[in-house]
Parts: sequence; C-alpha cells; structure tokens
Amino acid sequence: MIIALEGYWAGQGCVLAQPYHTELAAGTMSPNTFIRCLGPKAWKIAYVEPVIRPLDGRYGENPFRFQHYFQYQVILKPAPENVLDLYWASLEALGIDLKQHDMRLVEDDWEQPTLGAWGLGWEVWCDGMEITQWTYFQQLGGIDVDLVPAEMTYGLERLAMFLQGKRTAFELEWAPGVTWGDVYREAERQWSKYNFEEAPVDVLTRRFDEHEAECMQLLERGLPIPAYDQVLKASHTFNLLDARGAISVTERAVYIGRVRNLARAVAKAHVEAEREAEDSAVAAA
Amino acid sequence: MPSLLLEIGCEELPAAACREAERQLPELARAHVGAEPSEIFVGPRRIGFLIEDLPARTDDEWVKGPPESLREQAAAGFAKKHGVGVDQLEARDGFLGVTLPGRELVDVLPEQLDRVLRGFSFGKTMRWDESGLRFARPVRWMLAKLDAQTILGETSFGHRFTHGLVEIPDAHEYADALRAVDVEPVAAERRRLIVEQLDAIGGWSDPGGKLDEVVHLVEKGSVLAGRFDERFLQLPERVVVTTMQSHQRYFPLGGNRFAVVTNGGEPETVRAGHTQVLEARLEDATFTFERDVAVGIDALAERLGSITFFGGAGSFAEKADRVQRLAGRLGGGDASNEAARLAKADQASELVREFPDLEGYIGAEYARLAGYPEAVTKAIEEQYLPDSAGGPLPETEPGKVLAAADKLDTLRVSFELGHKPSGSRDPYGLRRAAIGLNRLAVEGGLTIERELLPDEVRDFVEERLESLLEVPVEYVRAARASNVPDLGGLARRAEELYRERDSSAFDGVYTAYDRAHRLAGRARDEAATSLDRGLLVEDAEKALAEALAKVAIDGNGDLEASLESGAQLAPLMERFFDEVLVMDEDAAVRANRLRLLLDVRDTLGALGDFSQIPR
Repeated sequence: MIIALEGYWAGQGCVLAQPYHTELAAGTMSPNTFIRCLGPKAWKIAYVEPVIRPLDGRYGENPFRFQHYFQYQVILKPAPENVLDLYWASLEALGIDLKQHDMRLVEDDWEQPTLGAWGLGWEVWCDGMEITQWTYFQQLGGIDVDLVPAEMTYGLERLAMFLQGKRTAFELEWAPGVTWGDVYREAERQWSKYNFEEAPVDVLTRRFDEHEAECMQLLERGLPIPAYDQVLKASHTFNLLDARGAISVTERAVYIGRVRNLARAVAKAHVEAEREAEDSAVAAA
Repeated sequence: MPSLLLEIGCEELPAAACREAERQLPELARAHVGAEPSEIFVGPRRIGFLIEDLPARTDDEWVKGPPESLREQAAAGFAKKHGVGVDQLEARDGFLGVTLPGRELVDVLPEQLDRVLRGFSFGKTMRWDESGLRFARPVRWMLAKLDAQTILGETSFGHRFTHGLVEIPDAHEYADALRAVDVEPVAAERRRLIVEQLDAIGGWSDPGGKLDEVVHLVEKGSVLAGRFDERFLQLPERVVVTTMQSHQRYFPLGGNRFAVVTNGGEPETVRAGHTQVLEARLEDATFTFERDVAVGIDALAERLGSITFFGGAGSFAEKADRVQRLAGRLGGGDASNEAARLAKADQASELVREFPDLEGYIGAEYARLAGYPEAVTKAIEEQYLPDSAGGPLPETEPGKVLAAADKLDTLRVSFELGHKPSGSRDPYGLRRAAIGLNRLAVEGGLTIERELLPDEVRDFVEERLESLLEVPVEYVRAARASNVPDLGGLARRAEELYRERDSSAFDGVYTAYDRAHRLAGRARDEAATSLDRGLLVEDAEKALAEALAKVAIDGNGDLEASLESGAQLAPLMERFFDEVLVMDEDAAVRANRLRLLLDVRDTLGALGDFSQIPR
C-alpha cells in the first residue's frame, strides 16, 4: 500500500521523503510540511510519518485507539486546479474502484492551536470510513500562506483495514503471517503505561522549559530550522505531561500558548531568512 | 424573452455554506441581475439559479447632469465624462442630462454574474489560488447560459465518479440534464427523494436532526438499510443512536437496523462497508462505556476538581458543591442532595468527552449501574430539562429541584462574571436557563424563593416571565414589585391581579394606591421617616391612620381577601383628601402627612405596584 502511494506520488513529481527523527503528533508537524509550506516557493512532497499521541493510547486494549500509528502525508504547494482529481486517482492506484464505493468529502476544518495553524477541508469518506484528512492550509505559525498548499493525510491503518476487509487494526496483515497486533500491541501496552503512569513529571516539566529556552536561543542565532526541532520536542513534552494528567485546564491553555509562540517565532524567522536569502541572490545576480 | 442559467461549480461545500447560499441567491439575483430567480439550485458541488424572461437589453438610462443655468461652466465636463458632445445633451425639468442607451444582456451579464460570485457572504471562507477570491470552498467552474447561448464557461459536470462533462443545451434544460447524470440540483427535491426512500423503509427517526446536513452531503442520495451485530444492543439505546448519528449521520430504524444516505456506489459493497464502520464505532463506544463503568460514578465524581466548568467559574467539583447547597435551599431532600453530588460526574467520563450530547443521560446510567436508587438516577437524567422552550419538565420532585438548582447556579455565576446575554449572543444559554427556571416554578409547582436570585439575575429571570404568562405585561410588572416571596407565587399574583382587575375591591385599592402615590410618591424626600401619631391633627387623618393599622395584607395569601381589606381604605382616603390639606404650613405636620400617604401606598404595594397598571 505504501509502495503504491510512493509510486503514484513520485509519478506526480513529489519528493519522496522519510519519516522525521523526533516525535510528531501529526505529519503536518514535520518541517517538510510546516516549514516548507511557508514562503513563496513551490513544493511537492510525500512521506510516511509515524505519529505519537500519548493521550490516545489505550494499553493495546481498544483496537481503534493507539498512541502510535502511521500517516501518509502528501503536500502539493501550490494546490493545482485538478488537485482533487489527483487525489482520487491515488485511491485508484491503491486498487479502489471509485464507482463501486460511496465516496464523500465531509466538511472538516482543521486547526492546530499549538502551531498557530488552520485550514479548511474535509474528511474523505469511503463507505463511511474516514480514510484521509484533506486540508487547504490558510495559516501556519500565525502567518498567511503565500501559496495555498493542499495537504492530504491518509490514515494508513484505516486504509489498510478497508483494503484488507479487517474489522480492527490488530488483525491487519503487516506481512504474510504477521499481524499489526504482533508488531505493535505489546508496545502500545507499555507506552500507555509510560504515558499515563510512569513518565517523570518533574523531569518533563524541566525539559519543556529547556526546549523553550533553546528554541529562543537558536532563533537569536539565526537558526530557525534547528529551533523548530525544539518546538517539536516542547510540543511532545507537553503532550506527555497532558497524558500524565499533570496539567490543569488553566495551565493547559498557558502551555499551548507557549508552544504557539515558539512556532510563530520560528515561522516568522524562517520567512524572513528566506526573503533575505532571495534578496541577496537577486543582488548578486 | 430569454432565460438565464447560472451555475457556480465548487469543490464539496459544507452543508452550512449550502444553506447560506440558498438564502442569499435570490437577493444576489435581484441586486446584480435585477430579476427574481424562478429556481434556486444548491448542492455540494454547485450553486446557481434560473431566471426566466429577462429583457434582452437593459433599459435606457437617463443620467441627470448640471442645471441648465450652469450650462456655460459645467456642460462640457459632464458631456466629456459620458463620452458625448455638448450638443447631444438634452434638457429635462431644468437640468441637462444624457440618455445612455441600454446594453445587450450578453454584454453586461459577465460583469453582473461576477458580482453575484463575489457577493456571497459565508461564515467561513478560504483562498485557494492566486486570484485571491474568497469562497466557502474552491470554485472550479462557472457556467452561464442565456437560453442556448453560452455566456460563461463551457459545460457542467455530473456525478463525480459516474459521469464527467455534461453539455447543457439550453438554460431551461439544466435541471433535467443533471438529473440524467445522477445529480439532483434542487435541494428541496433532493430532500423529498431521500425522505421518500426513508419512508419506504419505514420506522426511521432523526433525533439528532441530521437530515438537514445529509441533504447537502450527497448529489442525489440513495438510501440503504443495514443491520449491525445484535450484541451492541446491550449498550444503552441512546449511546447506540448517538454513535450512529453524530459521526456517521445514519438514521436509526429501531433495534439493530440503520439507514444510510449514500452518494453512489454498488449497494451491496457500500452497505457492507458502512455496516463495518458502524460496528467498529459501536465497538469503540462499548470499550469507552465499559471503561467508564469500571471507574464508576463515584470515582468519576472525584475527578471533577480538575475539569473547568467555564473560565472563571471554577471546576465542576465546585459547581457540584454549589448546586448541592442550592438544592438544599430549594427544599430538596436526600435524593436531590445525592443526585446533585453525582450530577456532573459524567463530565469526567470518556463517553461524554466523545459525545457531549449524552451528558445527564449517561451519568444517570452509570449511577443506575452503581446501584443508586431510581429517585437519584432519574433526577440526574432530568437535570437539563426543560432543554427547549416547549420541552418537557422533569417528572420527579428531585429532578425538578436539581434542574432548578443547576440553572440557578449557572445564572448566578454567569452574571457574577459579567457574561450577560447581549443581542443574539448567549453562549451560556442563560435565556433558556431563565425560561426553564420560570417554567419549573409556574408549571412544575416548585417553590423557588426570589431571595435566591441576586438583583440582576432576578430582573433577568422575571423579565422572561412577562412573555411566558398570558397576562398583559403591566400586570406582571405590577406583581414583580409585590412582596410575593417566590417565583411561582409571583406568576399567580400577576394572574390574580389581572383576574380581579374589574372587581370593586381592586378598584378601591387601586384608587387609594394611586392617589397616595401621585401626591406623596414624588415628595418622598420631604416625608418623615416614620409616622408620629402625636402629630395627627384632623379627624380624617387619624381615622385613616387607624384604619391603615388594621389593614391585613398577606403578601403570599389570598389576594381577594387582601384586596377586600385594602379596599377599606378607599372611603377614608377620599375623606382625607376632602378634609385634610397635606401641604400644611407646619413642616412637621406636612412631613407626617406625607409619611401617612406613603405608608398607605407601601402597605397596599405589598400586593403589587399598581402604578404599572394603566387605567
């Protein structure tokens, strides 16, 4: 399935990237999306992203909720006029006969407060199952996008359940004779225990402050891309603290505000750095 | 005369945007094309209209210029501005002007239709390309036909997957051409077709009101019925129904059957797919439900300290404490007290986090499973009633007490924080809470002491009573000024005052009140602080004071008896005014007489402020 998607989107001229090296709560958070969707340069990319959402773990007991799963993320910036047709064709490349199924685009507007980001779009339904989150970004890091990108985020487990006709993710065939459950279920149990019960609150609280400080320092030194990694780490640390129940509702809003401020500062610094580079390139020419 | 078709082709519009477009299209047609549409088309991928019998040319237009007397100074400039020579200007009614000839419709339509496109106002809009146009979703094509002539665009499009381009030969044939390619462009017709299919299956319901949205989720809509595994019927029924409706927009058919409105596909495949998704959702709901039950209602209640009621209003634990105290003051017994303690526990449950609509209902279910008695669980379930203007009231006494305590608390806290409703903004549902409180008192017979309402809240709640009772507002206002201690009594007082308005006792009291109020009401500052019997000189005033002391007005009792008693003052008041000069030269006597009149007014005023009632 992943290979089919890779082949299809490579054929559409996308860069094929690999998963990022730190915990992300969504494929959108990868710099391959967040950073690259800012500014005036065109960009096409596709990649698998494991996403980590500590709060969503259920100890491997609930076959529909996990703290770790996979997304396939595609960005087309700017969104071409036939972008939806390209998307439908990607489903055909997966072997889905669109005429056989009840395909629908159901309004679902996306907002990520920690990134100061929002967009309008849909969930794509295939016979009632949400298989893709589809968004036209409008703002990232509090900055209006120059070129409106289309983001297509395929839920790989859901898609695989649909294609394999399996009722739960546990039963998915990951390789001949090996199920998703064989590969991930025990990890789900252990991670849930860590996320909800064992993650060290005082260490994480301190770590959040450190990531925040490091981010600001890196920005002062003109390094928005490494600074962005600190935003991601701060964000994941916050998610862990949240899952651990260590954050009250009031504190929660404050933490979200702190991450958002970092994301905004990075977005602003990146856009400025890109503009400066462009100006000096023009000057040199 | 020709007919005009406009179609704006979009990527899938949200249902709310479809409804906005449906409302705005007639006005946009009038404003920019100058005519009334005969048909409106609205669906997920297209919005537009048909206008019949448009004049083929726009009317000639008379443009008024400068007055004839200013011909020398202004005529040349005006003529130049309109591209004519000075000698072509005509004079009418003392002014110079020019007749601009009408234009061919085909020439003006592109601009007019562009103004229609830009004239929509959606709640949420987006950009999608460099044109910078904002719309609810990307606009991908425009088609305009004047009869058979194409004004804008080329073709329309049929159902996304079964049909591609569709030629529209003539404006009038648009709807039929689309119907042939799996698209019903008229929303009302689409709804009719869907309802017809649901009726044919029978037994369908839509408690969550999803049909309005579903009509705009499909281009045509075929209805399929499915069955899910019966083991999910072990879940509380409303959990099953909410799972079906809130995410999936399915319609319950009773038991383990459901209906889904689809946008196409091979029926057997599609039915199997939807059934599998629903079963997965139900299985997930089962997990969530069982986890909540395993935690138990008491443990859930203990978690409320970390959940905020709303900003500034403390946690749900604090809310539960306040509601518990108020329930006591509303005369609630053990059952209400216990119910108040547990009422908000389901806010800490996973199921309510997932399906907020289940609040109250699922808390009651968890309390039942924990073995709490029916009086407690029923009260928990009824705490949000009445949830609409004409909706049912709680049936049980503890339910009424809890429902009133909850509303009272929300009102008190919101007003304290300055969240008064303004205009159409009422995010905390305070109007509904106030109406609910009144209905609990008036229809539910619950005693709600007015003292429990701080001044501002009391005014807000009692003002709602004015529109709730079938009595002229003046009588409600009069009653509000009475010393009736509770809301229900207040409503009864207003009704009684209205009923007694023509009785002679009412007339006596009214007259006595009115005369005392007219004379002394405005001279309050000059009145003595209390009556000094030693300063009463005239017989008439002594008699009045004596009679006043005997008047028995029971604020909360029988109005008729109180009126009879109060009416005794009427002849004495008449005599008083005949024989006594209030504005005596002696300041002390004068002040004492004013006090006497104020005492008459205030004594009778316990029955209500009669000055509110016009005569």
